Amino acid sequence: MYFFKRIKQKFFNWVDSRLSAKSEIELRQRNIYILPTRYGWLLLAIIILILIASTNYQNNMGFMAGFILLAVGVLSTFYTYRNLRHLNLKLLKPESVFAGEHAEFTIEINNKTEQYRASVGFGQNKKQLQLIDIDKQNQSQFSVKFKVPKRGLFEIPRMVCSSIFPFGIFQVWSWFRAPYKVLVYPKPLQPPVALFHSEIGDEEGAQSQKGSEDFYSVKEYQTGEPIKQVIWKAYARDRGLLIKEFEDKVGEQKLFTWSSVAHYEKELALSYLCYELVNAEKKGIDFGLQMPSEILELSQGKKHLHACLEVLAKF
Amino acid sequence: MIQAKELSIFRPGIIPMLIMIQLIVLFPLWFELPIWISGVTIAILSLKYLSYKSDINLPYWLIIIFVILAFSGVFFYFKTISGRDAGVALICLMYCFKLVESKSYRDAALVLFLSFFIMVMAFLFNQSIIMGFYLLVTVTSILSGLIALNSVNGFDALKNLGRISVNAVFQAMPIMIILFFVFPRLPGPLWGWDDNRAGTGISDSMSPGSVSSLINNDEPAFRVKFNGNAPSADQMYWRGLTMSNFDGFIWRATNQAFQKTDNIPPSTLLYDYRINLEPNYQKWLFGLEHLGNPDSSIILYEDFTWAKLQKNSKPFSYKGVAVDYNYNGYKLTDYARNNYTRLPSSGNILTKQWAKDVYQKGSGTEEFIRRVLNHINIQDYYYTRTPEVLLDNVVDGFWLKAREGFCEHYAGAFVFIMRAAGVPARVVAGYQGGEYNPYGDYYLVKQSDAHAWAEVWIDDKGWVRVDPTSAIHPSRVETNLLEQTNRRESWFGNKRIAFDLPESFLTKMRMRWDAIKSFWDDTLMGYGQEQQNDWLSKLGIKSNQWRYLGYGLVAVLLFSGLIFGLWLLRHSRSKDPIEIAYLSLKSKLIKQGVEIQANWGPQSLLKHLQQNHPELSKKYATAIKSYMLLRYKSESATDEWLKRFQRQVKKL
Repeated sequence: MYFFKRIKQKFFNWVDSRLSAKSEIELRQRNIYILPTRYGWLLLAIIILILIASTNYQNNMGFMAGFILLAVGVLSTFYTYRNLRHLNLKLLKPESVFAGEHAEFTIEINNKTEQYRASVGFGQNKKQLQLIDIDKQNQSQFSVKFKVPKRGLFEIPRMVCSSIFPFGIFQVWSWFRAPYKVLVYPKPLQPPVALFHSEIGDEEGAQSQKGSEDFYSVKEYQTGEPIKQVIWKAYARDRGLLIKEFEDKVGEQKLFTWSSVAHYEKELALSYLCYELVNAEKKGIDFGLQMPSEILELSQGKKHLHACLEVLAKF
Repeated sequence: MIQAKELSIFRPGIIPMLIMIQLIVLFPLWFELPIWISGVTIAILSLKYLSYKSDINLPYWLIIIFVILAFSGVFFYFKTISGRDAGVALICLMYCFKLVESKSYRDAALVLFLSFFIMVMAFLFNQSIIMGFYLLVTVTSILSGLIALNSVNGFDALKNLGRISVNAVFQAMPIMIILFFVFPRLPGPLWGWDDNRAGTGISDSMSPGSVSSLINNDEPAFRVKFNGNAPSADQMYWRGLTMSNFDGFIWRATNQAFQKTDNIPPSTLLYDYRINLEPNYQKWLFGLEHLGNPDSSIILYEDFTWAKLQKNSKPFSYKGVAVDYNYNGYKLTDYARNNYTRLPSSGNILTKQWAKDVYQKGSGTEEFIRRVLNHINIQDYYYTRTPEVLLDNVVDGFWLKAREGFCEHYAGAFVFIMRAAGVPARVVAGYQGGEYNPYGDYYLVKQSDAHAWAEVWIDDKGWVRVDPTSAIHPSRVETNLLEQTNRRESWFGNKRIAFDLPESFLTKMRMRWDAIKSFWDDTLMGYGQEQQNDWLSKLGIKSNQWRYLGYGLVAVLLFSGLIFGLWLLRHSRSKDPIEIAYLSLKSKLIKQGVEIQANWGPQSLLKHLQQNHPELSKKYATAIKSYMLLRYKSESATDEWLKRFQRQVKKL
């Protein structure tokens, strides 16, 4: 058994090395394979039996039946092949997900020909397929979900597109692989204590380093606003309690640092950071991420969140 | 969408469809199987349908009980479970039970593929042209079953995909026909096989009534195609076998020795023909007198009759020659003379005496024959199918008292009289006549043409045919028998009008149908190794025929594969009018010297034009924009827009 496993492994390595990593694939002679199914072998056995019996009983009707089945068998290679040929597969880039969730991989199947495609199967192996029909000049979609337990880059396994239609005696198939990897963020976990309150305001130095006066406007201090944002220099000059305010009127800003969670186990720490980042984005505040490898400046929005989470995912 | 390892057979319509297919496949076998087995197969399938309708699964033990009952039923009926009939019965029953216990795709596929085999079993019993059509019907329906089984939409898929099965059968036909002729054929059975069916047509013994029983049998016996001249139908005497052993009641054929080549007198060729014999489950073959040295597969016996080694259980085609033997100087051996003049010592004394008296009145054998025939013609001898039944001294009773009978009476009595006078003679059984079919250029000989006549040995002339029946005066022939022998032209004394071409519409139709049937039976069903060697020899391939057939076979498969491949795949090429117009637009641009990368969409093409070929972009922009509208905005993908786009492209 081990020996067969090795051979199988070798074979699929070779298959994988031949697969192109294009996002759009046209099924054609070069990438469609064909072999008889077990029912194909059964039919062949029946044909041989019929021909032997016909020879023995000198039965020409039997010969006719045997030959018409043989001809149908030969022709059905074309019928089956025709069912896949010239189908266009468009592999859509999957969305990033959090660890423990399902990554969804969608394939758009385009049939630009005049031929109805019946029972085309998609799946990860030839035995477990999801069958769909695609009308002529039409398109259809196939989605498959993968459970991704670990953060990082999830490689979508090799997929297969197959058909045994119409008679089930030949199977044609084509292997293909998505040119994408799914980015898997850490699983967000609520940290046991509020980790980052102490960090607020830390960035003043950074602001002054920038020296950008447009960065904020100044307004009078209202009770309840963070004391850290008070401009103490102005207070010293007796201008009253003034605080700086960002142009977009966001009062809060958070810079999440690796150092604040470094004492946790690595994955846990990343999960905490992930949770905080997601939360921050939800609140609509500015946030940044400081990791040993890189620093992402304060900003906001989905795109920024994605950039931050990507750093975590790949950390 | 269906998420499953295999397609279920419990989708609506699949099981009733399988039942229907089984009924179609079993239908021809119902006529061959014992009636109770046919009934049981129908009952099992009905039971399956009921359990499907009412959604009840038959318990497994119940099925087992049914199977055991069926097995024992077959065993008690046939007293065996092997052998052809019992085997076929058993397989049919098992085939039905298989469907009853079917639960998965695997079972259904097995039922369908087994159907092909069951279908072929019916051909063991019947190979008529009707079955040829039925073969196509059955294959088409089984293939449709496979389509429904393999389709997501199940039975409903047949509405728009069912024609695939019809197409497949029609596309497979040319390949089948070539394979049929090219596939190397083997002679004879591969393993011992006894067909115990009773022989049909004439038999190897002749008793009163044995030939006349065939008079109403309109089945074809054989068909003859002449190569060149043909004798007139009344001279067509098809010899089958000779009978020289008389026990006082029945004439029997004796075992004949093979003819030795140096015993064959010199001969001149008269007629050259080919006979396509229907299966008659007998060994003997028929030929026009006198029978010459035949094909290698045929044995020539000492009495100049033909036979083959196996019973003729399928259409058999053979070449024959009719010759005129020159018996000048040939004498009958003492042994043969003794044999051909032997009569039972007791019984029929009056006829024996009568024969001796008549013989003494004349001079020599030929004179004697003439006197006897004249006696039949003048005296009140009647030709009838319903003569007086005689139990004792049958020859005396017929010849001297009843004076009515059929050809077997006349032939038997005539030979008896010859032998009584010491003239060597024998009875010949075979067929007389033949109906010309202008549509197929052949003569059809039917079972109703069965006949018996006599042969008499005359020194230096050899065996001379004498037909005492034709000596009967036509006024004493039963009216319906006169009509029966209508086509025998000048039988019964030249009184009949020569038979020309068929006149009535019905006769024409019947002849056309017979010509088609004859093509089916002789050319197709009678095709075998001999015919295969024949056409190969005509092509000049006389040795290594198997090798050439092998080449032919491979060539057929490759060539037909190629042709059909190209033809089938041609269909799937894109016929999208939008795409076609866009392609022609692109080719026009290429002609203008624009380099277009394969992966460019219309957007990038437009951009490229604007940047590098501003003068062209003005001209082409509208058309490209229409294309984008058609392609990417579903609401603009109307026929109107399409036509507009096509016009724009044309103008460029």
